[in-house]
Amino acid sequence: MGKEQKELKKRDIEKRTLFRELFDIFSLTGFLYGPLDERLKFRDALEKQLKKTTPHYRFFIERNFLACLGGITFILFLIQVATGVLLLMYYRPTIAEAYESIVEITNNVQFGWLVRGMHHWAANVMIITVILHMTRVFFVGAFRPPRDFNWLTGMTLLLLTFTFGFSGYLLPWSQISYWATTVGTDSIAAVPFIGETLRYFVRGGPQVSQLALTRFFALHVVILPGVAFLCLVLHFLMIRRQGISEPL
Amino acid sequence: MKKNEEIKNGEPFYPNHVLKEVIIVLLILGLLIALATFIPAPMESKADPFSTPEHIKPEWYFLAGYQLLKLAEKLDFLGAWAPKMIGVLGQGVIIAIIFFLPFIDRGSERYPHKRPIATTLGILGVISFIVLTIWGHYS
Repeated sequence: MGKEQKELKKRDIEKRTLFRELFDIFSLTGFLYGPLDERLKFRDALEKQLKKTTPHYRFFIERNFLACLGGITFILFLIQVATGVLLLMYYRPTIAEAYESIVEITNNVQFGWLVRGMHHWAANVMIITVILHMTRVFFVGAFRPPRDFNWLTGMTLLLLTFTFGFSGYLLPWSQISYWATTVGTDSIAAVPFIGETLRYFVRGGPQVSQLALTRFFALHVVILPGVAFLCLVLHFLMIRRQGISEPL
Repeated sequence: MKKNEEIKNGEPFYPNHVLKEVIIVLLILGLLIALATFIPAPMESKADPFSTPEHIKPEWYFLAGYQLLKLAEKLDFLGAWAPKMIGVLGQGVIIAIIFFLPFIDRGSERYPHKRPIATTLGILGVISFIVLTIWGHYS
């Protein structure tokens, strides 16, 4: 054993005193880079991720905008989660009070107008970016195998985005949201054989009423986010596994 | 990293790409705050199930589908069942085709100019979506 190694070993033994351990655990960085890293090796993992490269695109617009559309959609999704949770703190999902709670959020709650406005606009921008993202992937043929399954999760996410928009539209319980939902759910009845039953199921009754609002609320804040999260994980895992498709 | 090397091996995720990502996040936040400030989210009157408004239109991203349903109404010479069913099922078929695209278009060519049929259909699809949306807005 060389002198240097002996020195190292001595230092290691010195390091692992009770005080040192406690200090490591209670100081956050000490814990992160000490005991936790020893067990989970996340520093190596992080370094590996940071060293990965993203493809170089030839055109300025592709490099700085078109290739970012998926990422921008994801950022907008995160903004929707954050603003949505804030709105949830003040929103009351009953036909008697939903509209009043929206008025209160807009007029009385601190920055309520801003949070509601951002939720409204991020939803609209998200629809645009998700459509553009799909269009780009189509035109550059990035959906070719082995990425064909990722097209499926992506399409599911696109349909989920539209369903998010449709269900969220009813929640303010305003004149336009009520009647747009009535007409929208009416078209479900055109599905052969099960149409009428399906419409009844979506509305929770013959008309759009409290049960419809409750159903759309549950869909919008619990069911859809859960399914969307699952699809996002699959979408990103597949990208990690297969790599970003080569630029043309 | 040198420019040539970057083109060959790709852009490093850290710090190049992370910096770009941060800039994009800030731009998006700025855009949303500006939009929310200068064009506030609409505030309609409260829902009244007993008074139907004159023009009921969906959100803009459903206007293309809405206009297609309206166009399908012209098919009523086939019978009373035809307009709605063809309108709704037709859209379902279009969505299903797009959904299962990788399993329908099974070639391996990626360049848009080397698969002219798919590219033409794609461009036509984009144009008709835009036209139907604008038409739906003004109809």
